[in-house]
Amino acid sequence: MGAILQNPTQAEQDLLASFSAGKAERERKAAFDRFANAGLPSRRVESWHYTDLRAKLRTAPPRAKKPDAAALAHAKDKLGTVDRFRIVTVDGFFSRELSDELSAVPGVRLRPLLEDDLRLKRLVQGAGDALLDLNGAYAEGGFVLEIAPGGRVDAVFELVALDGGTGAQGRFGRGLVALGENSRATVLETRGESGEGFSDSALFLSLGRGAELDYACRTTGGAAVEVQTIVARLERDARLRASALVAGAPFLRRQLFVSCAGENAEAHLSGGALLRGREHVDTTLTLTHDAPSCISRETFKYVLADQAEGVFQGKIVVPPHAQKTDGKMLCRGLLLSDEASMSSKPELEIFADDVACGHGAACARLDESQLFYMESRGIPRAEAQGILVEAFAAEAFDIIDDEELRDLLKLDLKRLLGTNFHWGAFS
Amino acid sequence: MLEIENLHVSVAGKKILDGLSLKVADGEVAAIMGPNGSGKSTLSYVVAGRPDYEVSEGSIKLDGVDLAEKSPAERAALGLFLVFQYPLEIPGVTTMTFLKAAINAQRKARGEDELATPDFMKKVREAAKRLNIPQDMLKRPVNFGFSGGEKKRMEILQMALLEPKFGILDEMDSGLDIDALRVCAEGVNALRSKERGLLVITHYQRLLDYITPDTVHVMHKGRIVKSGGPELALELEKSGYADYAEEAA
Repeated sequence: MGAILQNPTQAEQDLLASFSAGKAERERKAAFDRFANAGLPSRRVESWHYTDLRAKLRTAPPRAKKPDAAALAHAKDKLGTVDRFRIVTVDGFFSRELSDELSAVPGVRLRPLLEDDLRLKRLVQGAGDALLDLNGAYAEGGFVLEIAPGGRVDAVFELVALDGGTGAQGRFGRGLVALGENSRATVLETRGESGEGFSDSALFLSLGRGAELDYACRTTGGAAVEVQTIVARLERDARLRASALVAGAPFLRRQLFVSCAGENAEAHLSGGALLRGREHVDTTLTLTHDAPSCISRETFKYVLADQAEGVFQGKIVVPPHAQKTDGKMLCRGLLLSDEASMSSKPELEIFADDVACGHGAACARLDESQLFYMESRGIPRAEAQGILVEAFAAEAFDIIDDEELRDLLKLDLKRLLGTNFHWGAFS
Repeated sequence: MLEIENLHVSVAGKKILDGLSLKVADGEVAAIMGPNGSGKSTLSYVVAGRPDYEVSEGSIKLDGVDLAEKSPAERAALGLFLVFQYPLEIPGVTTMTFLKAAINAQRKARGEDELATPDFMKKVREAAKRLNIPQDMLKRPVNFGFSGGEKKRMEILQMALLEPKFGILDEMDSGLDIDALRVCAEGVNALRSKERGLLVITHYQRLLDYITPDTVHVMHKGRIVKSGGPELALELEKSGYADYAEEAA
């Protein structure tokens, strides 16, 4: 085990000490070695500059074990009844018992994830990050959801991440959603693990030629320190629309590595985040146009109250062969308090000459003239503020094509903001 | 009835209203005319309760209720409505959502039940039809990308739906062509009633050809300098405001 870190922190020591791999697990070992070389990222790592994980994660809680009967029962209590196909993980482990039976659904396969899955390997190669490596080293019990070529499933798949009631633990969930050629699916991910411990999850999205995926992640709560990594690869003519709703996460880093690997692929990424208290939410994405004539759009909205900190880093990479690239990126922050802060760093790395790329970042307060206009119609100030905040954030979800999924996100947002707006402390 | 007494108002330390007094009875349509900078728009904002205006002296009462300590929303619930000279655009909020929030907030403030959605839709559709407002405009965000005429029609639609006790029209004619002006004026005339007072603020006689006032007041340097009947507006159209400028000077 090549741990060559200088002066490892307690958390790094904890993480390095608990590793073990079977002989056949080459990928796992390789991931561990990469992590052991890099350690936890600090401010010195440019892509982690605004989220100092090394300083934040003092100790690493013990790794969650495969859930026992009690843990499964605990998780089951949190599952309501919904009209969706559910794929459930408990403490990061795929639970067939709690997941819906999908064998009868034509064109759909659900099974455990194998580390030598070729699609997975290709996806891992496309990203490069210490936390993704850490996930690769420790994740066990991942799942694969496969949609066969040409498969069209009308129902929404829901990936539900729950905890087994075991308190502060290290959780490493891992899943692959693979869409065959010209297939289409809608996936909702609901992160409902407890508010304790450390979570480092990874979701891989593989979109075959002409495949189309609507994906949204809901994080309302979460671990004390959480990292979510999404790695996506789009073949020719594939369409990915990926959104996220974030609220109540104490310290969250969402990182997305998206590659438009085939001509005419389209990636639409967005997110709406509501932050208050001392919450810290960082979205860092790299979108690589690795083929000509691809389109990418990114829209991220942050609502920040109290002393909350929002971070957005977006990089669009256009290598020389990606002519006719069309990329636009936008991040907007709505500051509801003097002490809240937003750091935005949009970047373009363009090496092709025939491209249309743009980015923008802006921060503002609620518009007093708009508020007065609404109040003059009898809408009390707090309600008017709520309506404006909701409108601001909800726009992020408009990229989702699937009406059910889009409405669900908007309804969640409305519920979070409350009928009488109470997000953060208003004077 | 709207009663304004000896109103003194400053904005950013500059005195804009200087002892203005005015009474408009129920059922009365009063017009205020005056040159640029005489304080007409300030008057409308102050009555509606815009926060950045400082009232140093005087009072504003609606049906005997002092508005001084009332928020803009409370004033609206008491029955006050302002037609904005420049209606605000609110991207992301559909007109229907906005109208419903406004109507129900006012009903709630008055202790009434919220309007059921079908009743609300019916009410809005009927009122919109009378003002030549197409249905698809109601699905668009509030005033977003609307023309000047569309915005003003939307203001009158709101007034018709909210049925205020008292309406202030701040330069409703600005930005309107003759046809749009006629539609809006007809909308306003349809809202004239014995119970409802209206204050029409304008630079020009033209608007008063369509909305005939009962009384006309001339405003200059933050106070009413002359009051009379509709004939006063015609005089002003001929002679301009120069005489008043000299009088005040």
